[in-house]
Amino acid sequence: MSGFEIIVEGFIKALQILFSGDQEILGITLLSLRVSLTATLLGAAFGIPLGFLVARKDFHGKSVITAVINTLMGLPPVVVGLVVYLFLSASGPLGFLRLLYTPEAMIIAQMILTFPIVCGITISAILSLNPKLKDTLASLSAPRSWEARVLLNESKLGLITAIIAAFGAAISEVGAIMMVGGNLLGYTRALTTAIMLYTNMGEFATAIALGIILLLIAFSVNLFLTYLQMRSRVRRTT
Amino acid sequence: MSSQKHNQIFAVVVIAIVVATAALAYYGWPMGPQRLIIATTTSTVDSGLLDYLKPYFDNKFNVNMTWLYLGTGQALQVAASGDADVLLVHDRVREDAFVASGNGTLRVTVMYNDFIIIGPPNDPAGIAGENATDALLKISQAGHDGTTVFVSRGDGSGTNALENRLWKAAGVNTTGALWYESAGQGMAPTIRIANEHIGYTISDRATFLTLQSTMNTTLNLVVLCENDSALLNPYGILLLNPIKYFYIKSDLATDFLLFMVSPQGQSLINNYTINGKQLFFPVYGHPETIGLPSENATVNYLNSLLKSRGLE
Repeated sequence: MSGFEIIVEGFIKALQILFSGDQEILGITLLSLRVSLTATLLGAAFGIPLGFLVARKDFHGKSVITAVINTLMGLPPVVVGLVVYLFLSASGPLGFLRLLYTPEAMIIAQMILTFPIVCGITISAILSLNPKLKDTLASLSAPRSWEARVLLNESKLGLITAIIAAFGAAISEVGAIMMVGGNLLGYTRALTTAIMLYTNMGEFATAIALGIILLLIAFSVNLFLTYLQMRSRVRRTT
Repeated sequence: MSSQKHNQIFAVVVIAIVVATAALAYYGWPMGPQRLIIATTTSTVDSGLLDYLKPYFDNKFNVNMTWLYLGTGQALQVAASGDADVLLVHDRVREDAFVASGNGTLRVTVMYNDFIIIGPPNDPAGIAGENATDALLKISQAGHDGTTVFVSRGDGSGTNALENRLWKAAGVNTTGALWYESAGQGMAPTIRIANEHIGYTISDRATFLTLQSTMNTTLNLVVLCENDSALLNPYGILLLNPIKYFYIKSDLATDFLLFMVSPQGQSLINNYTINGKQLFFPVYGHPETIGLPSENATVNYLNSLLKSRGLE
């Protein structure tokens, strides 16, 4: 059997697996969605407000903070995995929480990855707003909350980009969730970690099937977010 | 549509996603039976043995059996940190040290298979039929001549430990050798690297046979060296100290141990085959038949537990 035949055969078997409604694969897919969506939302919940503050306030060391956040946007998942592992291990400082090898540990690790991504893109989105807008708001002596609403609304395009980038990083990441989730069958086995396991075991068809699901998820989530992005842009130009 | 209305729709969509995710996160998973975490070596996973045993154990004890896919060194490390409930590993030296240090309370041999030296069918180092140490010596010589490579697990696993003992016995220093590739991965990936690099490696027989059945003709390695008493591969189960690790599920760990040594568990292990070949051989209660020291005290204790639990 040539290498190419393996790929073709793997692909055909993968389609069969996809349409067989396999419970195990369904569970793995739901877990991936649950972990990565939660991590993205939590990352956004902390990242957008902090990004807004950093962009709006003038303070000492602002450029250093921004540079740090931009560097953290490229945090290697395995390093995050290692640090979270050491903290959550039963013998670590947060071991009493008994969170290692749970989906919650995976969410924490991925949140640490998504947070700087959302934060960094939020900063640049707000900084790139037309300065006249800020001057106008200042001259109107608009209340703080109102100002925040207007600025965030104007930078909605950038904020959605931030969420797209964060979700993409989370759903495709394998190093961190492998270390802190442990790839436990039916509990912490996600799409990416399962692909690694099945590839190790030489079960390429199942690995390909999971790869297809991963791509489909990434595509549909991005399609939805891009739709929101397009709408906010159309509205602005009309 | 006004901009206001757009904003409302946007807000509703965002809130809906948040609520749906939160609901999925907290109610999506029905609480099933209690989860047992076994820290184990890659061979019991790669060979499919644990997948095969899981439904029998889960049903009998109403437990959800899960496992961490690690090398023996890492498995012992994870258990010593208190992050697993029970150990199923294969490195006697470190297993005994684990119990002696007070981390474990009991260790028993449950099954065995053997290691094999595998390599390309044309056998460039000419090791076929040699004993294990001579075979490694020949591989190192062929390696120096640049005709072959050896792929090591290099991950501190039980297989890695055995390999290092054999290199030592052969008097070969592998440090920095160009023909010596340290993979740092599990057994199956290491075999696949040896396959791609047309080299030699040491594997447990179970993982090799399993990989042969999944990879078919794309796996071009054959067994060249076997049936050497130095290549015996016994697997032990270790219970962790329930006082030191008071938060682990030691009851479930004991259930798992009893299941594996019970007549049912032993015969299940005996009946597990891939392509008609048996992968693991049960040996609970009589390790002396394969040349290991007797474990009478532990076996008597476990037999009395089996009796009191009606698992004989």
